[in-house]
Amino acid sequence: MRPRIQGCSYRLGCVLPNLNNPRKCEAAVKLKTFLAFVGPSVLAMVGLIAIPLLGVIYLSVYNSHVKTEIVEVESSVPLFGGLTKTTVEKVPQPVLDENGQPVKVWEYVGGRNYDTVADPGGLVTALTKDRSQTADGEPAGLAQRLNGMYRDITDIDFWGALEFTLLYAFVTTPCILVFGFILAMAVHSVIKWLRGPLIFASLLPFIITPVVGSLSIYWLFLDNAVIAALLEQLGAGKVYFLKDAITIRTLIILYGVWHVTPFAFVILYAGLQTVPQDALQAAMVDGATYWQRIRFIIIPHLRALFSFIILIHLMDAYRIFEPVLVFGSNLFANSLQYLTYYILNFEDNYSKAAASAILTVIGICILLLPVLRRTYREQKGGA
Amino acid sequence: MLTTSIPKVLKPFRTTFLGFWVFLAAFPFFWMFLISFRAPVDAFAFPPKLFAPVTFEHFYTVWVVDDFWRQALNTTIVTLGTLTVSLTIGCLAGYGLSRYRGNLGFWILLIALVFRAMPHVVMLVAYKPAFWAMGIWNRYETLIIVLVAINQPFTIWMLRSFFVNIPEELDQAALVDGCNRIQTFVKVIMPVMWPGVITTGLFSFLLAYNDFLISSQLMSGDHMTMTAALSNYIFSDDSLAKLMHGVAGAVSITIPLIFLVLFFQKYIVSGLTHGAVKG
Repeated sequence: MRPRIQGCSYRLGCVLPNLNNPRKCEAAVKLKTFLAFVGPSVLAMVGLIAIPLLGVIYLSVYNSHVKTEIVEVESSVPLFGGLTKTTVEKVPQPVLDENGQPVKVWEYVGGRNYDTVADPGGLVTALTKDRSQTADGEPAGLAQRLNGMYRDITDIDFWGALEFTLLYAFVTTPCILVFGFILAMAVHSVIKWLRGPLIFASLLPFIITPVVGSLSIYWLFLDNAVIAALLEQLGAGKVYFLKDAITIRTLIILYGVWHVTPFAFVILYAGLQTVPQDALQAAMVDGATYWQRIRFIIIPHLRALFSFIILIHLMDAYRIFEPVLVFGSNLFANSLQYLTYYILNFEDNYSKAAASAILTVIGICILLLPVLRRTYREQKGGA
Repeated sequence: MLTTSIPKVLKPFRTTFLGFWVFLAAFPFFWMFLISFRAPVDAFAFPPKLFAPVTFEHFYTVWVVDDFWRQALNTTIVTLGTLTVSLTIGCLAGYGLSRYRGNLGFWILLIALVFRAMPHVVMLVAYKPAFWAMGIWNRYETLIIVLVAINQPFTIWMLRSFFVNIPEELDQAALVDGCNRIQTFVKVIMPVMWPGVITTGLFSFLLAYNDFLISSQLMSGDHMTMTAALSNYIFSDDSLAKLMHGVAGAVSITIPLIFLVLFFQKYIVSGLTHGAVKG
């Protein structure tokens, strides 16, 4: 028997106001009042999120460079015996304005910055390159060919960053759902006085400043720090966690799971309090086992919460930044947000950073599209 | 409660699992606190030591010699400023959104959802040249208003879900009694909104306090916040003494957060569950 619960269809769309179900309308505000209420907030978002976004699009199709001119420079090089040799060379030099500042030229370049960041040419080469033979002339297997292609693609900064960002997002998501759920079930089943302290301990990794949280993990795994030292004592030899792509990627993913599991846990824990007891009772009378109750009653009941957690976590995972910064892992495990940060700060190239930023935004929009479409359809079509 | 009962066979597993999790959750903190009171030799000793002489030297250097108190002050100013502005305009918007029936409300919330997903560095690319040109670089007001704007999508979503749960009969009663909208909002609705405001406030606080990317980029020198200043210690060079100062700084940043959880655990839990469960 499969017990079904009526009237508890928490759907993601419920998070949005249901417009087609007008309650008593007397208390509803008029458009003018509404605008007055939301005005300051909307103004802040338009001014500091929407307009900057447009600005970034504008920046991304322009390039600024210092205007140069060819100047003849006379230089004398000392030779031996007091002799000097005078040469005249043509050297490019920045043009200076009346204040002695270099003159900058602002030039429309269309998609060139995007080309630099995403390198479609390199991508096509990586995809179409002939890999039928290995370096020593042996015929290459499928695994080898795919591996070579993967390497060539991730060698391009942008695609490498995208690869790890998505890997992080899609590996951590199931982990936090599973751990969060088990944890919620476990905490829910212990005696009452123990729940408070357990929740307290669980919340710590969640509320901690991400930089500090990453650091606290980083300090554990430094080359001479406690974990490496303990492993060495146990006879595992010297392990250099931060010098190898595999370990550093695992560490960042573990950090992510450690940091976000409490979020999933608390939400699912609260959801567990609302599981209808009569349905469980009925199921037990019918002889449903513990697993059956979980599978057919509890998990369906929490389904909306699972999708809520997935939505929020995908957004946050997509902009993972702090662990990459703290672990200094951008060579092995880059993230899109770190890539843009790096171009902005270390290459000091606003236009390229803008192009990288816009590509990042396009990525998150594609990722969110299914959710947004569903929400929209539920609002416009349903109920 | 029936959901509570688990089969006897599973009980040992449950205990092990919970013990393991609490250890995992707390150990990085425990170890960070432990080594912050140690000389560098003891902190990274081989084999690791559980007990070692206690020293307050790192905290002294960080707080007194390196003027960390100034950064703590900056963090306080920025966080409180963000909190106040964010909640004020957020409450207005949240109330408006919860009581409006038109399509516009839906679109605002949907676009806010997309804005919430924006990686912050995207906006930073625009802020850097724009703020520099406008000469509003490295000022408290700038950082506060930027953090407010970035947190607005989240704030209005959460506050709206709290306002929706306040029955509209309350508004009606006030309106019938001759209050106008603003009076209704201030005198009737806000007094019963405090739990929602506290919860949302907590999260706004965390978002502002924990921010690294924006704060470290917009502020420098004397205006740096604590989190941003931490990067001075960890990225400057590899000397162990500097690193230990970083540990002391990190511990100093963590302590207020621990007290926050201690005092407001209930609100944090209700806040996280609110948007999702009650929607």
